[in-house]
Amino acid sequence: MYKFFLYCMLVIFYLGLAKTLSPSEVGVQYLQNEKGFSKLIKGDTVTAILIDTHATGFLIKTYYQKYRVLTGFDVVEELIVRTSKEFAKRNLGHIGLSIYRKVSDKEEFVPVPPGSIYLNKREFGDWKLNKKGEIKWRFNKSLKNFPRYLGWGKFRPDQKFYQEMKNNISLNKAYFGTNNEFGPDGFVTRENFPQFFKGERKKKVDVKTMMIEYLKNNF
Amino acid sequence: MAEIVDRLVIRILLAGFVCLMIYLYRYAHVVFYPSVKRQVLKKIRPAENAPDTLHLCSRIVGIAIIFSSVTFNETSGLMLSLFHFSVWGTIAIVLYLLSLYIIESIVFYNFEYTDEILKRKNMSYAMISFCHALVIAYLTRTVMIESENSLIILLVLWLYMLVIVGFSVKYYTFISKLSFNRLLIQKNLSLCFSYGGFIIGAGFVIASCFDQEHYELTLYCIQVLLKTILALIIFPIFKKGLFKIFPMKIGEEKGSEGQIDNDMQSLGYGFFEGCVFIAGAILTTMIVNRIQFGTIYPFF
Repeated sequence: MYKFFLYCMLVIFYLGLAKTLSPSEVGVQYLQNEKGFSKLIKGDTVTAILIDTHATGFLIKTYYQKYRVLTGFDVVEELIVRTSKEFAKRNLGHIGLSIYRKVSDKEEFVPVPPGSIYLNKREFGDWKLNKKGEIKWRFNKSLKNFPRYLGWGKFRPDQKFYQEMKNNISLNKAYFGTNNEFGPDGFVTRENFPQFFKGERKKKVDVKTMMIEYLKNNF
Repeated sequence: MAEIVDRLVIRILLAGFVCLMIYLYRYAHVVFYPSVKRQVLKKIRPAENAPDTLHLCSRIVGIAIIFSSVTFNETSGLMLSLFHFSVWGTIAIVLYLLSLYIIESIVFYNFEYTDEILKRKNMSYAMISFCHALVIAYLTRTVMIESENSLIILLVLWLYMLVIVGFSVKYYTFISKLSFNRLLIQKNLSLCFSYGGFIIGAGFVIASCFDQEHYELTLYCIQVLLKTILALIIFPIFKKGLFKIFPMKIGEEKGSEGQIDNDMQSLGYGFFEGCVFIAGAILTTMIVNRIQFGTIYPFF
């Protein structure tokens, strides 16, 4: 019994020490839920786009999320966080959407397509008529890279998109675009944030294929 | 052809120089073990005292193991490489003998070399000392390689290694059923095989903990410490498992306690325990060092 007690103490000591000192524990911040964003991301006019999510571990899973964070007019950075199982699962269907936004100290957590905070604001751009006769949002020349940062590709929002998005935000309901262009099933997200949709990550292999591949690779 | 002969001459010269360093070691040995002055500085008589011969030979093997970690860099010139070898060889000798002195002071705190080897010719003591010499040499060699010719790092790692070895030798009383002090007084060979297996196993584990890439000394020391504690957690699982898979019978079913004691003091039990310790330790190194978990976010 005495030895068992010592063994348990040793395990606890190891876990405590590993948690405190291990280099793998240092550097990756923890995000419990959307309320924790304000502690991680500083600055005004901020949007955090969820671009990838992943779980590691065998029995006890650790969940990671990767965000593209746009701050102000020109700061773009990628943020990797450890997160809770509940938050990770809840946002699994929100890949490619902006999960967090902050403008003038006002925070928003409804998942909507990225770039919503810039729409209809003259300092960022304007609604302009294109060659096809459609009125679309266009960023100012100094912000010409924003569509790329936001993962829009060739997509440009129109006023219908903007109105629907505003309605959904007021209803506290996630929005995926007029024709579901964004999110895991949206072609814009799939095209511009392909990491999450890579074939090998979704692929389920049967034992036979796995064994054949193993034998091919090793012998 | 001339170049090949030249290289052969250099190798012979260096071999001679290593012999010279080992000759110097004789005198260094006397500094730390003044009582063996007669044994070391005069001719050895193996037939006269076998434990004494084993004790001395273990040191020779040990110093050979340590010297194998020093490299000659012929491109920087013969004289410089000889000088490098002599400096690091001397450091190695001093550290090795100091380590042995400290570890033996911890393990044999109740015993004296003069009493056990010279007077009582205790083979068990000599065997344990032999294992200590090999393990300490192997560990000193490991830290010398890891220090990458930096004296400061070598001193830090050497002290660190000594602390870990010092704690690990105390671990024996937790995992063995044999009473160390009582059996050593009785010159019991079962003890020396059991303890020998334990200390060799501990040497493997500690060396494997030190054997890893390092960019920053503090982080490296943390990793070594974590691995050592992890090994302490994993090793009992293998020990228990091996004892369960190969159950042993000690004493008769209705035998007295004395019978059980006799069986445990037999050579067979010592072999069994020693081998389980070595096997368990090697398997522990596999679990601690050979599992690749990849990066924390492999797909990111």
